[in-house]
Amino acid sequence: MKDLSYNDVNKDVLRPLFTAEFSYLAVLATTLLVLGAGGLCWVYQLVYGLGVAGYHPPVFWGVYITTFVFWVGIGHAGTLISAVLFLTRSRWRTGIYRAAEAMTIFAVMTAALFPAIHVGRAWYAYWLFPYPNQRQLWQNFKSPLMWDVFAVSTYFTVSTIFFAIGLIPDIAAVRDATKGFTQKMYAVMALGWRGTDRQWHHYMAAYGFFAAIATPLVLSVHSVVSWDFAMADTPGWHSTIFPPYFVAGAIFSGCAMVITLMLPLSLLFKLEDYIHVWHFEHLAKLCVFTGGILTYAYGTEYYIAWYSDNQYEWGTFMDRVYGNYWWVFATMVFCNCLAPLVWWFKKVRTNYIGLFVVSVIINIGMWFERFNIIASSLSHSFDPAGWVYYTPTWVEWGILIMSFAWFFTWFLLFVKIMPSVAIAEVKEAMRPPVKFEGEHAAK
Amino acid sequence: MSAVVPLDTVASVNPVKAVYAHMDCLMTGIANLKKAGYNDIMVMSPMPRHEIEDAVYEGEPSPVRWFTLCGGLFGGTMVFSLMAMTSSNWPMILPGGKPVVSIPAFVPIMFEGTVLWASLATLIGLLLNCRLPATDLPAEAQDPRFSNDCFGIVLERVGAHDESKIVAILQASGAIEVSGGSSTHAAGALHA
Repeated sequence: MKDLSYNDVNKDVLRPLFTAEFSYLAVLATTLLVLGAGGLCWVYQLVYGLGVAGYHPPVFWGVYITTFVFWVGIGHAGTLISAVLFLTRSRWRTGIYRAAEAMTIFAVMTAALFPAIHVGRAWYAYWLFPYPNQRQLWQNFKSPLMWDVFAVSTYFTVSTIFFAIGLIPDIAAVRDATKGFTQKMYAVMALGWRGTDRQWHHYMAAYGFFAAIATPLVLSVHSVVSWDFAMADTPGWHSTIFPPYFVAGAIFSGCAMVITLMLPLSLLFKLEDYIHVWHFEHLAKLCVFTGGILTYAYGTEYYIAWYSDNQYEWGTFMDRVYGNYWWVFATMVFCNCLAPLVWWFKKVRTNYIGLFVVSVIINIGMWFERFNIIASSLSHSFDPAGWVYYTPTWVEWGILIMSFAWFFTWFLLFVKIMPSVAIAEVKEAMRPPVKFEGEHAAK
Repeated sequence: MSAVVPLDTVASVNPVKAVYAHMDCLMTGIANLKKAGYNDIMVMSPMPRHEIEDAVYEGEPSPVRWFTLCGGLFGGTMVFSLMAMTSSNWPMILPGGKPVVSIPAFVPIMFEGTVLWASLATLIGLLLNCRLPATDLPAEAQDPRFSNDCFGIVLERVGAHDESKIVAILQASGAIEVSGGSSTHAAGALHA
């Protein structure tokens, strides 16, 4: 890493803004095209109803809930990096937290689409929120699905505030580096930030509180998501291991997604001085750690299913391995338990190709993990007469692909509009310039 | 910030600005101004530095914490009341004599309400205490170098007879530029 000055940080981080390379435009055009095509799948479903999805009684949760859980999980790593690592003063957080936090927001925005897609009549989605209505009917607050509405909407609101507050000093830096209409736009967004002692004093206090507030959300949101399953008595779901198992899985998939997103970002935008292999190595170690917890949780699930001597529970778990969905189970085990083991080798986890390939494999594996939990349990429940083989239709696959296009479109727009590395925090982590070394030197 | 010392109550007042490229010089400037009794200073920095906070605020905590606490307490109470009152308003007949107002089942949403309102109140506390959106900052504070690679000290109200003393303190501390007051006092070349 070269010896950077404060001015270098501003120049390097602001350089990618407002320029559009051909490769960038090509990728953006592709994501927009896919978004449009996937959007048409949703329109098709809205017109013809949920029958176009592959639901078959008793399987009424499928790709949409799988994808919802997948995207909520992706968001967790961003909050872990921005909030938990802030409180623990981890130095490796500085370069990557801004983009990781943006990833959280866009992942939750993507997840938020799916309850609306899943319920079919998306225009009634507002029924989820408590408001005085003429039916004199209130929500059932004892339902885990209701808990989830509050958990995800709170998570989105808190993450967005935390993200926006973190951006203010950097938006001020963009304002001061631009001219004309662009400058005016950023001046409005910077809220008149000038980095005065008063502003920093209260800002740092508030930022610490935001981090402290966001920290329990890392644990709580996916715990609540897991209760969507664990509170039901369906075999394979009704387990107290679900909250920690889901949280570990969320951090595991989220860290992998940070690697998938930020490796190309740092190389394309030449931000290697700020986001280097050291950061990715830490993320890979976090994945190895959480992947280990996940593998242990998979094992515990099977052990408890066997030890419980409950034929329904054991039947479901055996069906996952030997039944219709054996290929889902095999993909999950390979991607989540075996593939990350190569990151035990320093050579692989410090190699860009090794990092990128395994991170993509983990993302695939984590989607299949949720599909494994949802589809196999519902299609092989208590009554053998109700055993079916649910397979998604082209509409569901189209909407799944749309979700990725939606997520990447937002991320691509973000990296050209806002600084993707936190300028003020990078400077805070640097040694300040001093004129006199020794006793007069600044701390 | 500590109590405001009126710099001059009789003569006309002008702002004075000093620009620093070095942290140690800035800290010397702040210390020497305070030693001379000039406490009404504004320090600009492109990033948060605890040294500056300690020198200016001398350990005084930000009142934002009270906003967070009150917001959290309000949120938890409000959401519990919402759930208890709406459940009582639409009492479901549950098997096994389970209570209509069931505390354990309300805990997850109470937690979310606490977190949500603590966060919203912290945002309000931040905006009020930082005085954001800031529209009343003097032109001297609005130097683009302060979001890039320079620190600054601005004294908004400097009386005629204090001016030369303040300018001398700022220049002696190692400012690369001192301006304002009744004249501009360039001090060497700007930062590289």
